[in-house]
Amino acid sequence: MNRLFLSAIFALSFFFMQPAAMAADIEINTPAISAIKNSMQARHNQLAPHYTSGAVGLTRDGLIAVRDAKAVPLKDRQSVNTLVAAENKDRNALYKEIAVANQNPQWESDIRNTFAQRWVEKAKAGWWYQTASGWVQK
Amino acid sequence: MFPSSVTAATVICPQGCFLPDVSKLHKIFNLQKPALLLGLALFSAPALAISHISIEAAKVDAPQGELRNARFDLNLKTSAVNLKSQYRPSSEQEWTDASLNCAKLLNPKKGSWQCDSGKLAAGMTSLPFSLRLNTQTLKGMQQFDAQLTVQKASFSDAAGLHAGENVNAKLNLKAGQLKQGWNWQFDLDWSGGEVFWQPFYIALNHSRPGSHQLQGKGTFNEQLIKVEEARLTLLDVGSADASAEIWRSGTRIRNMQVTTGTVDLETLYPLILKPLLEKTALSNLEIAGTGDLKLSMRDGEIKTAHLKLQQVDLEDKNGRFALYKLNTDLPWDYDQARPVRLAYEGGHMLKLPLGKTDIKAALNRFSLTAQEIDLPLLDGGLNLRDISAVWVDKGWHWHLRAEVVPISMTDLSHALSWPAMQGKVSASIPLVTYSQGVLITEGDLRFKLFDGTIDVSKLTMRTPLGIAPRLNADIHMRNLDLGTLTRTFSFGAIEGKLDGDVNNLRLANWKPVNFDAAFYSSPGKYPKKISQRAVENISSLGGASAAAAIQRSFLRFFDQFNYAKLGISCKLRGDYCAMDGIESTGDAYVIVKGSGVPSITVLGYNRNVSWGELLERLKRVTAGNSKPIIE
Repeated sequence: MNRLFLSAIFALSFFFMQPAAMAADIEINTPAISAIKNSMQARHNQLAPHYTSGAVGLTRDGLIAVRDAKAVPLKDRQSVNTLVAAENKDRNALYKEIAVANQNPQWESDIRNTFAQRWVEKAKAGWWYQTASGWVQK
Repeated sequence: MFPSSVTAATVICPQGCFLPDVSKLHKIFNLQKPALLLGLALFSAPALAISHISIEAAKVDAPQGELRNARFDLNLKTSAVNLKSQYRPSSEQEWTDASLNCAKLLNPKKGSWQCDSGKLAAGMTSLPFSLRLNTQTLKGMQQFDAQLTVQKASFSDAAGLHAGENVNAKLNLKAGQLKQGWNWQFDLDWSGGEVFWQPFYIALNHSRPGSHQLQGKGTFNEQLIKVEEARLTLLDVGSADASAEIWRSGTRIRNMQVTTGTVDLETLYPLILKPLLEKTALSNLEIAGTGDLKLSMRDGEIKTAHLKLQQVDLEDKNGRFALYKLNTDLPWDYDQARPVRLAYEGGHMLKLPLGKTDIKAALNRFSLTAQEIDLPLLDGGLNLRDISAVWVDKGWHWHLRAEVVPISMTDLSHALSWPAMQGKVSASIPLVTYSQGVLITEGDLRFKLFDGTIDVSKLTMRTPLGIAPRLNADIHMRNLDLGTLTRTFSFGAIEGKLDGDVNNLRLANWKPVNFDAAFYSSPGKYPKKISQRAVENISSLGGASAAAAIQRSFLRFFDQFNYAKLGISCKLRGDYCAMDGIESTGDAYVIVKGSGVPSITVLGYNRNVSWGELLERLKRVTAGNSKPIIE
C-alpha cells in the first residue's frame, strides 16, 4: 500500500515536473543578452536618482515611464525622457532576446510579465510602480 | 430680476469707470441664470458712497471648460480688482483654483486701461504682469493695442512637459477689426528665464544679455489665419522668416513658406536639432559650421525643401564617426527628381579614416539613386555602383554593388589597432541589400592576407547598429603563410602553409556563438618546421601540464622540429567547443604529426573546451610571447 502510494507520488510529481522543466529560463545568458544587460547596468546610476525622486516609475508592462516630470529641473527634463526611451528600448530587446534564447519567441509577453514583477520586488522603498489602479509608492 | 440688478450697478459706478456690459455676458459665457448672484455690498453709509462691488457666479460654462464659485471684487477706493474662481478645462477631471488680481486698475481715459502690478495665478502658473490696453473705435471698427510685460513668471502643465520658470518677456499686440475678421500684429521679446517645451529646452543666460524674438503680422477670419510675415530670431543662432495660411478648423496648414538665414549650427544643434534627432545616429554630436533651409508646404504636406550646409565639421561624441568640411546641397521636390550633392574633405568611420569625397545623386520624392559613389579609404577605397535607396514605412531599404579597391593591411591594421599585418584586402560584392535592419551580401569579400586568401561569403548582418547585432558568414582561408601569421600574433614560429574553413559562423553582439571551424596544413610541398615555443604554446592551449613534459624530456635541446602536417578543429555551440585534430589516437587527437628527425607529435586530450577558457589561454600565450622570457 505504502509502496503504491509512493509510486503514485512519483508518477504525479513526474507529471507535474514536466511543465516546470519547460518553463522559461529567465537567467539564460547569451552575448546579446549580456550586451543589453551591460547597457542597462551602465544606465542605472543615471536613472536611480529619478526613481528615488518619483520622477520615473516602473510600469505594469515591465518598462519605465516618466511619472512626474516636475520632480526634475527644467533643463534636465529632456535628458530624463531620453534615458527612459533608451531604457525601454533595451528592456523590450531583453525580453525578446530571452524568449529567443529559450527557443520560444512566443514566450516574450510571459517573460515581460515575470520581469515586471521582479523589477517591483527589487525596487527600493520609496520608488513608484504602477498597478491596475494607478501609481503606488513602495 | 437679472437685468435690473445690472442697471443698479451701472448707476453706482463712478464717472469714467467701466463695468462689463453684463447683459452681454450671457452671450459670451453660457451663464446659468439662476446661479448668478449679483451682490452689491454697501459698506459705508448713505447715498452714493458705495466702495465695493462684488459679483458671484456659481457656475459658468464655456466650450473650453467650466468655472465655478467665481467671485469678482472691485474695491472702488483703491481700484483693486480681484477675480477668484475654480476652473476645469473640458479635457480634465480636477478643479483648479485660479485668481486674477490687480492692485490698482487705472482707467486714465475712456477705452484705456492700465494695471502695473497684476498677477494671474492658476494651478502651477504664477504670472506677475503689467498690462496697458487701449481700445478705440474708428469708423465703427474696433481697435486694440495691448502691451503685456511678465516678470519672473512661471507656468507648467499638469505633466510638466510644457513649463517655464523666471520668464521675463514683453508682448505688444495690436488688433483691428476688418469688414470680415481682424488684422493683427505682435512682437514678442523674451529676455530672461528658461522654458521646457517638450522636447526643447531654451534658456537665456544672465551673463549673456540679449533676447529671443518673435514678430508677426497678418489677418484672421472665421475660416483662415493668415500669417503675412513672421520672423523668429534666436539669440546667437540666427533667424527664420515664414508666411502661412492655416485653416482654423483642425489647424491644418493650407500653405507655408519658411526661409532661414544663415544659421550657426554650433548653437542651433543643442537647442533645436539634438532633441529632434534623439533617435538617430546624429543624437550626440559636436558640430560647427553654418547651414540654411528653405521649406514650402501645401495642404499639410511638404512640397519642396532645400538644405544647404557650409563648411560643417561634425564629430560623434561616442567616437563612431566624424566628417570634416562637409558641404551639402540637398534640394527636394515632391513632384520632380532633383540632383543632390554631398562632399567632405575627410573624416572617419569606426576608426577608419575617410578620404576626400564628392557624392552626386538624384533624389526623387522618397527614393535616392546614384550611378557611382567613390569613398576613398586609406590607400584604397570603397567603390559603390548602381545605388538605389527608398524610404518606405519609416525606414530605408537599399541595394548596391560594392567593390573594395585594394587597401593595404599595414595601414588598415594600424588604423584598427590590430597586430601589424602585411597584405591587401579587396572585395567584389555583386549585390548588397539592406531592408528592415537586415544586410545581405551576395558574392565574396576577398582578403589577400599572409600571402594567401581569405574569402568571406554568405555575409548577412541584422541590426548592425542596434544593441544586439548579429552576423552570419562562412569564411574560407587558403595558403596562409604560417611564418607571417605566427610572427604577427607572437605565437612562436611555425613554417608552413595553412588552410582553414569557418562555416556557419554566427556572431551575436560581435562575439561568436556558433561555428564549425577547421584549420589544417595546405596541400602541396613546402618546408614544414615548428619551433619549440610554438609546440609549448599549442600544448598549453590544452592545459598547463603538456608544456612542462617537453621541458623534462631530451626534446628541450632542439629549437625546432619537422612536421608532416598539423590541424585543429573546433565546433562551437554556445560556450563550448568540441575539439578535434587531424587524426585520432585512442582518447586523444593529433594536432601536430611529426616527421623526419627531429620530429615531434603534439596530442590534444580535451575534446570539450570552454570557449571563454580557450580565449583566455590564447591571450596568455600571445601576451606571454610578446615579452622576453628570461630563465
